[in-house]
Amino acid sequence: MIENFKIDSNEIDKINFINKEDKNFRIENLNAFNSTGFPSKKEEDWKFSDTQAIFSKNFKKLNLDNSNSKETDIKLIKDFDHNYMFLVNGKLVNSEFKFEDKSKIKISNYHEEKFSEKISKNPFICLNHALSNNGYYLEIKEGYKFEKVLVIYNLFTKDLSSQILNNKNKIVVGKNSELHTINYTINRSKNKFINNSYESAILFENSKYKNICIQASKSDGYFHKFSNNKLRSDSNFSSFIFSSGLKFYKQDINIDLEGENSECDIKAALFLDNDEHQEIKTKINHLVPNCKSYQKIKNVLDSEGRGIYQGKIYVKDIAQKTNAYQLSKALLLDDNSEFNSKPELEIYADDVKCSHGSTSGSIDENSIHYLMTRGLTKKEAIQLLINGFLNEIISEIKSSTIRKFVENKIELQIHGY
Amino acid sequence: MKNQNINTNQEYKYGFTTDIENIRAPKGLNENSIKFISQMKKEPKWMLDWRLKAFSRLKNLKEPNWQKPKYPKINYQDLYYYSAPKSVSSKPKSLDEVDPKLLETYKKLGIPLNEQKKLSGVAVDAVFDSVSVATTYKEELTKKGIIFCSISEAIQKHPDLVKKYIGSVIPITDHYFATLNSAVFTDGSFVYIPPNVRCPMELSTYFRINASETGQFERTLIIADKGSYVSYLEGCTAPMRDENQLHAANVELVALDDAEIKYSTVQNWYPGDKDGVGGIYNFVTKRGACRGKNSKISWTQVETGSAITWKYPSCILQGDNSVGEFYSIAITNNHQKADTGTKMIHLGKNTKSKIISKGISAGKADNTYRGLVDISRKAKNSRNYTQCDSLLMGNKCGAHTVPYIKNKNSSSTVEHEATTSKINEEQLYYCNQRGLNQEEAVSLIVNGFCKEVLQQLPMEFAVEAQKLVGISLEGSVG
Repeated sequence: MIENFKIDSNEIDKINFINKEDKNFRIENLNAFNSTGFPSKKEEDWKFSDTQAIFSKNFKKLNLDNSNSKETDIKLIKDFDHNYMFLVNGKLVNSEFKFEDKSKIKISNYHEEKFSEKISKNPFICLNHALSNNGYYLEIKEGYKFEKVLVIYNLFTKDLSSQILNNKNKIVVGKNSELHTINYTINRSKNKFINNSYESAILFENSKYKNICIQASKSDGYFHKFSNNKLRSDSNFSSFIFSSGLKFYKQDINIDLEGENSECDIKAALFLDNDEHQEIKTKINHLVPNCKSYQKIKNVLDSEGRGIYQGKIYVKDIAQKTNAYQLSKALLLDDNSEFNSKPELEIYADDVKCSHGSTSGSIDENSIHYLMTRGLTKKEAIQLLINGFLNEIISEIKSSTIRKFVENKIELQIHGY
Repeated sequence: MKNQNINTNQEYKYGFTTDIENIRAPKGLNENSIKFISQMKKEPKWMLDWRLKAFSRLKNLKEPNWQKPKYPKINYQDLYYYSAPKSVSSKPKSLDEVDPKLLETYKKLGIPLNEQKKLSGVAVDAVFDSVSVATTYKEELTKKGIIFCSISEAIQKHPDLVKKYIGSVIPITDHYFATLNSAVFTDGSFVYIPPNVRCPMELSTYFRINASETGQFERTLIIADKGSYVSYLEGCTAPMRDENQLHAANVELVALDDAEIKYSTVQNWYPGDKDGVGGIYNFVTKRGACRGKNSKISWTQVETGSAITWKYPSCILQGDNSVGEFYSIAITNNHQKADTGTKMIHLGKNTKSKIISKGISAGKADNTYRGLVDISRKAKNSRNYTQCDSLLMGNKCGAHTVPYIKNKNSSSTVEHEATTSKINEEQLYYCNQRGLNQEEAVSLIVNGFCKEVLQQLPMEFAVEAQKLVGISLEGSVG
């Protein structure tokens, strides 16, 4: 049990740790978390997402016990052929790679091996390091390209209530390999709970990793996800974020471009409705020359939706010929909605091309008028315009079956408007 | 253009000091030195109480440490908080009575105080260290009912106006340096433009830090009453010194219904030498309130000096249809650090703001744009446009952009754009081909880069500013 969101140190004893080093690492991180608690808006990185206020408003007590639910029945997506992994409350329970050469894939439960990481400034990461007990490890060996997409079904069970789940995942994509995943979150709990995950990915030379993140439906989940991605030379990382529907979601994405000619792009299309609060925070570190990064974040905010984008591009002095781009756009549909952004550049190299843009505003009245003269009702016109606004991101998904699937999901959200 | 040093840095042009005996307050920051300042200024009791209130508040405040440019800790007890040229105690009646040495200093600075005053048509309220020495063109202004004097004089002669407006934009409960200023400010300008008067000339003050170890705490208060207009110029040079000197000025602007204030700054204080030794710390709080309907405040700044510049001239757009503008050029070279930008706080309906910021970074300097655009729920149909461009020269300097954008209103539009790049090689090549040397070419290109901001400056300043842009970057190409 957590009293005042402080965590008792004997919670750690409940975890099956591998060795003493592991235990010390967990204790150190727990102390770090307890010294600050959940971050408040006084912290610069949390200026727009005051978790202390949000959590204390929505949770009286937090429950650390993991659910013992035996729920495993889910409907697989029928729209396209895919491999799958099946996580229940963060725990890996099943996986099937029937389209792939299984000898090239290594999958297991996650076990931390290195404990050298410094104490993070982000209390959520400390909490995760201290208490994480679930998660997966996925490795694609050298020179293997996935035939079909891998869907990671992330099921949150009915019995969750005021739980805080901590899980940790790691993905390794070997040299010249390619992996394409979809994180598909299904939430059955009608109660509030917190999911705090930590994901790391290493992309070796000339590898590719594509990821799409999408929710099956709306839910009362409060999510925090930190992902740490390291890119070796000529590798390519791409991430699509369509995570609308949660009560709270902060995604903290760190990308280190460590090898020359590596590229990354982050694209997001979000539709946030009543009382939904989502933040995308990125930090792209250009550490070597000739790398490219691209970010495009689009938000549509209705009733009391709050969208936040905090993006930072860091260019080290040796990282000449960097090309970095950052754009955030928001449509505000209601006077109670809010969009905050902080697109930051920190540049120490001179031969670079870095730019960012950020706009927010309402739907163009002239466009609505035009569509209405063509016989659409106002509501239809607005829906069409929102659709067009978000479609710019969705249309960049190459596979047509997956694109259709995503389009349908997003359209459902917009039609609730 | 790499690795070929064309020119070593030009020595600081205005680095000289004048020997004038000073009357100083006892060293240190305490109630006694505040009382001393108040007494020297012959201030009424309410002013002293106000200062002491600020001082008691200051005791509970901590120096901020979030900002990017870090500086060695300032020992506030080791500073003099008041120093006045002695010759002023005997009050000169006209320019002829002014200490010739003072006049000589101004001449070196090129201040149009004496014979130049008619030519340039600029009324100068020259501040030598802490006391206003002479104020020209007063009569012509008085005819129109314009009050343009030192703040100390205003406290004595126009207490009602000062009492009403001082601290109304920058309250004594503000941040550390602003509160410090409220407690110990020594001098500065006061401007009041009566209703429906258009100020016939550009008002100007030259600040100059002279005595060693005196931080200068200027306080400027400009009030534009209904339907009036004023353009105010501020320019700064400081002598060459080794110790770091603190400058924490407060500038408050109040624009009432239909009034317009244009505030222009050229700042060229001593930036420290090539290795970053010495230089001024410029921690200034500038804030304007568009209190009335249809009012407008426009800030223009050219920042080339100071070891550390840290200022954010802001506009609080309270009145409906009010307009805030911010045009800025910040040039940093050698070890200079500039963290500057603006805050546009939209509170009234149909308010508009525009931000144009140009940052140029050379040598080992760091240049940061940090700005806030905040559109509140009630600010319907508001509009903001922000553009900030950075230019980098060399790979040891840094250019950073940290905009905060908050939009809480569906009928308002916010746009922000920023780019970072280096000087285009082709443009340089083209200029070289036409017979310009490397430095002239850079100066030309940079001036073009800054054009949007330079255009906003009044004529008198635009020429000086253009020269400054060139001088500041000398030796940085290579």
